[in-house]
Amino acid sequence: MESKFPSRRLPLLILLPTLLVCGMFLYYPLAQSFSWSLLRAAFMGLRTLYVGTQNYVRLFTSSAYLHSMWISIVFAAGVVLLGLSISLGIALVANRKVRGARIYRTALIWPYALSPAVAGTIWLFLFNPTAGVVNFVLERTVGISPDWVTSRNLAILLVVTAAVWKNLGYNIVFFLAGLQNVPGQVIEAARIDGASAWRCFWKVTLPLLSPTAFFLLIMNMIYAFFGVFGLVDVLTKGGPANATNILIYNLYRDAFQHNKWGMASAQSVILFVMVVGFTLLQFRTTGRKVHYGG
Amino acid sequence: MKRVLVIVMLGLLVFSGLVLAQEKTKVVFWHAMSGTREALIQRMVDNFNLTHPGIEVVAEYKGSYRDTLNAAQAAAVAGNAPNVLHSFEVGTQQLLDMGIFALAQDVIDQYGVVIPWQDYLEPALNYYKIGGVQASFPWNSSNSILYYNKTLLDKAGVTMPREPTFEDIVAISRAVINAGVAEGGITWPMHSWFFEQWMAELGANLLNNDNGRSGYATEINLLDPAAVTIMNWWKQLYDEGLWINPGRESWSQARQNFTTQRVAMMISSTSDVNLTQNAAFDGGWEVGTAFMPVPLGFDRHGVVIGGGSLWLTKGHSDAEMKAAAEFVVYMSQVAQDITWHQSTGYFALRKTSLQALDLEGWYKLHPNYKTASDQLAESQISTATQGALSGVFPDIRTYIEDAAEEVYGGASVTDALTKAKGLIDQALVDYKELMGG
Repeated sequence: MESKFPSRRLPLLILLPTLLVCGMFLYYPLAQSFSWSLLRAAFMGLRTLYVGTQNYVRLFTSSAYLHSMWISIVFAAGVVLLGLSISLGIALVANRKVRGARIYRTALIWPYALSPAVAGTIWLFLFNPTAGVVNFVLERTVGISPDWVTSRNLAILLVVTAAVWKNLGYNIVFFLAGLQNVPGQVIEAARIDGASAWRCFWKVTLPLLSPTAFFLLIMNMIYAFFGVFGLVDVLTKGGPANATNILIYNLYRDAFQHNKWGMASAQSVILFVMVVGFTLLQFRTTGRKVHYGG
Repeated sequence: MKRVLVIVMLGLLVFSGLVLAQEKTKVVFWHAMSGTREALIQRMVDNFNLTHPGIEVVAEYKGSYRDTLNAAQAAAVAGNAPNVLHSFEVGTQQLLDMGIFALAQDVIDQYGVVIPWQDYLEPALNYYKIGGVQASFPWNSSNSILYYNKTLLDKAGVTMPREPTFEDIVAISRAVINAGVAEGGITWPMHSWFFEQWMAELGANLLNNDNGRSGYATEINLLDPAAVTIMNWWKQLYDEGLWINPGRESWSQARQNFTTQRVAMMISSTSDVNLTQNAAFDGGWEVGTAFMPVPLGFDRHGVVIGGGSLWLTKGHSDAEMKAAAEFVVYMSQVAQDITWHQSTGYFALRKTSLQALDLEGWYKLHPNYKTASDQLAESQISTATQGALSGVFPDIRTYIEDAAEEVYGGASVTDALTKAKGLIDQALVDYKELMGG
């Protein structure tokens, strides 16, 4: 294709700001993570010792790290399954033409606008074992007072629920947009052919929604693996006994609390490889198994 | 064109005049105290600035101790570290190894600043003495004491001895719960600090190589009988529902459990005296304090200094170094020392302050402020009570807290401690290698 720019310099000049910002805040730190992952480093790199692949070997032979990986997978599965199904349900209801639908829709999106720290604090207030509203109500009505933050299973349940709630708004917006693109005539035709509402949903709406659902699947997976650091930090700090110590939190702990910059860099490289994997998966599969209508 | 030039020149002249008029030696001070303590520090700094016209200290709150230390590391890498850094006791080895700090004694000697070290309490100096040299300036010093709700204990018909045992705590907890006056017996933040204090009380070094003071430590003594005894007792309290877990490193939640009278006892830092007494006064009940409990049949060896100290970074002009040194010396002068003690509960660092407080009748009126000082004064001088030095203290604390959580989760005490020891020993050895020690 013929270039429309008068000179070769102009496009470069226009790209320069983007390249500068990306270079400073993305590519340079990325390169540094790769090189630091081969070091044992302390004090943000004031002291370093070359150790080769030792960090990686230790990570993959450490039961704690493998456990953290397992927890992350369980956590992500919970967040993705619960998050997508609940938000699809809500989106279906919110898509109906009722009075005040706009108000409901706005209210549904609110949680997404909260910062993770604020959301975490709200949940902590609600579920505080000794002073929380939830336990107050439970104690008065059912007579139980579960220890939400110190029991392993309850803690992970709490974090998953909070993470799902936090991301509901995002999912609902996309599902609503998807639902509004489902052509009314197709559903009408199906109904005339005698399909039940349930069958209509499974055979018509859902396939037409699949591009949205698939996009959300990937985004929620990325969110569950990398975006919930703030919630974990506020709610459980990775505890009790590492029950909520997901990969991204483990990385933070090693870098900012344990001062192990090399080990943390190796973990960030591993996470980077995982993101690349997710993204490739997204590019590969979209357009093949997913129905885009038309 | 000429006119523009003249205006610019005039502007520059006025500007430089202003700069000259304001030329004060600026000292940047980062600290880790929030809330009322931040306000108090600001008042002390303002007073210093008023009485030292040539110096301007700028105080900034930088978050928790860990956050403050991280911020200082990042600033040091970027070449603009603060002149004075407030850091916690367990960061001492890291701060030494970072190589960006000047030793307190060296600065004092070089700039001829006067500081009457002999007037300071010895244990407070000792913690921050490395190889006999004063590395930093002790400042907010604390240790852990036992708080109890006298009103609730009276209702349950029990009394608290001045030096309770582990067994006393179990008996009193059961008594208050059985009498129905409180939900639980005792609480303290799920924090490794208390475990460390108990190790010292039982006369056990936390780390080998004389608690890391004769060389980099390579092993933690978690399989010492003392460690096992402490953990077993903690497990018993948890299993019987006598200890209420406020959550990991959760100081405020522990305080809330105690001040809302859900529990009858709390172990916490002496720096909580002020807050706790105010809450008790508002709630109409009486708070008492006692020494840390120890198991029956063990000798009481004393406690380790907690809290923080002030560090000077190197690489500034002579004027700044001298000003910074004057400032840190000012912060623990008798007048400031007394204000700080009375407003927080951190103990007074100076012998003169203690005498003045005594003369003033302060301790008679407020006996709870005295407990920590007494506990410290009665501590034996040893490497156990001098406290452990390690560059991987954050790891040590994380793994000890993990172990405690595993124990409540049902793991056996020795299994949990063995696992923690393995992880901590690895971290200690790695650190030693990294520092070329």
